Amino acid sequence: MRVEVDLAKCTGHGICETIAEDVFEVQDDGRVHIHGNERPESDRARMQQAVTQCPAAALKLVD
Amino acid sequence: MVVDVREYSPHDISSRRFWNQPFAVRDETFAQLRAAEGLSWHEPFPSLFPAEEPGFWALTRRADIVHASTHPELFSSAQGIALDPMPMEVQRIATFFLAMDPPQHTVYRRLISSAFTPRNIARIEEQIHKNAASVVDDLIGAGDVDFVSACSARLPMMTISEMLGVAPSDREAVAQAAEKLFSMSDDEYSTLEERAEATVNEMILLANTGIELAKFRRRHPGDDLMTSIVNAEVDGHRLTDEEVGAFLVLLASAGNDTTKQTTSHAMLALSANPAQRAWLTEDLEGRIGPAIEEFIRWATPVLQFARFVTQGTELAGQTLKAGDKVGLFYCSANRDENAFDQPHVFNLQRSPNPHLGFGGGGPHFCLGNQLARTELRNLFREMLTRLQRVEFGEPDYLMSNFVHGIKRLPAFVR
Repeated sequence: MRVEVDLAKCTGHGICETIAEDVFEVQDDGRVHIHGNERPESDRARMQQAVTQCPAAALKLVD
Repeated sequence: MVVDVREYSPHDISSRRFWNQPFAVRDETFAQLRAAEGLSWHEPFPSLFPAEEPGFWALTRRADIVHASTHPELFSSAQGIALDPMPMEVQRIATFFLAMDPPQHTVYRRLISSAFTPRNIARIEEQIHKNAASVVDDLIGAGDVDFVSACSARLPMMTISEMLGVAPSDREAVAQAAEKLFSMSDDEYSTLEERAEATVNEMILLANTGIELAKFRRRHPGDDLMTSIVNAEVDGHRLTDEEVGAFLVLLASAGNDTTKQTTSHAMLALSANPAQRAWLTEDLEGRIGPAIEEFIRWATPVLQFARFVTQGTELAGQTLKAGDKVGLFYCSANRDENAFDQPHVFNLQRSPNPHLGFGGGGPHFCLGNQLARTELRNLFREMLTRLQRVEFGEPDYLMSNFVHGIKRLPAFVR
């Protein structure tokens, strides 16, 4: 499972970072950086939450 | 499909008479609109300016507001976001990048968002905590106070002023100008004739403060948001002094009034619901997070914003034409029966709590959401652990169709 960001949509709200700060980090330029796109299956619920709650709909999960 | 008739809905949500009613009474009308088919067309809001508009479509369901908010290519902000008719040049002074669409909006948003990332908010949390503690220090044993000025108004003003580097001597003037700006519909603040002029004057006062701060920080860089704003560069673009001024108008209002109103509304709700309060204080650290989401849903400090339709589209079965105005009623979305179980009950255990207190998502989702949550968390933690007793009198509500406001709240504090 991969988590991917569309940087054209990302506006750096950082909701994902409050859900998984070890995975997502909004940089000072207002774009999110993902530390390790490949996520273990055990991380699915958390990643799904980040995708769902992104106000800009910039995140997606790819199986 | 609903036929495109342009008759005004029999449900009035435009007049001053309507907005003069309490929030819960107004929601009886919104509930009827939510339950009806399609969208309803309404008379324009009264305007302070000689700007004429035919009316607007009311978006009252959570799902419809989310759809409009997350499709900026169909529902534009660039022609204005004030639901009351207001010339664009006036709106631009007060709203800055709120009245922009992507990709222009994206550039500005990124210039500013660095100060609001979770990591940078975490960095200033200790300062916020200290300020919250000092607000509560002054409250303990204070006796009879106006809770709004003695508590609710203080932390947001301190926080945003420190972030921007506003000198302590100027803070009161900035906060008052910001408050006035969004209180123009309330008779207490000025006569109808003076209001339009006063609105523009307050905006100019705030904008000039921002321009002065920007000039100062260009010459004397410091460790604050203003310094990073004047130095920020995205895609070769830097903010002009005038843009920084417009941004200060936005921050002084969006960053002050919203959190202040949420504080007052939430304290009143906790006082009216002692069982909820007891549940929260039983495990404050574990429960304050979800509780704050309910505070925000309950308060809904920003009642609405507007968008303009860019091209023929359909929403809730209603055909919309290019140029149509739509009103996004967050106040109604946050009481939507299809999104919330028993929406009129203040329930700190609500989970999930998909409120639209920070907007309906999309590019204009509230930039300050983490800051607001951090301020509320620190302030309520201090109040709920250190204040022995707070008793409230009758709140004096602000007459406004934009801000869900409490002007004064008599309280006895021990």
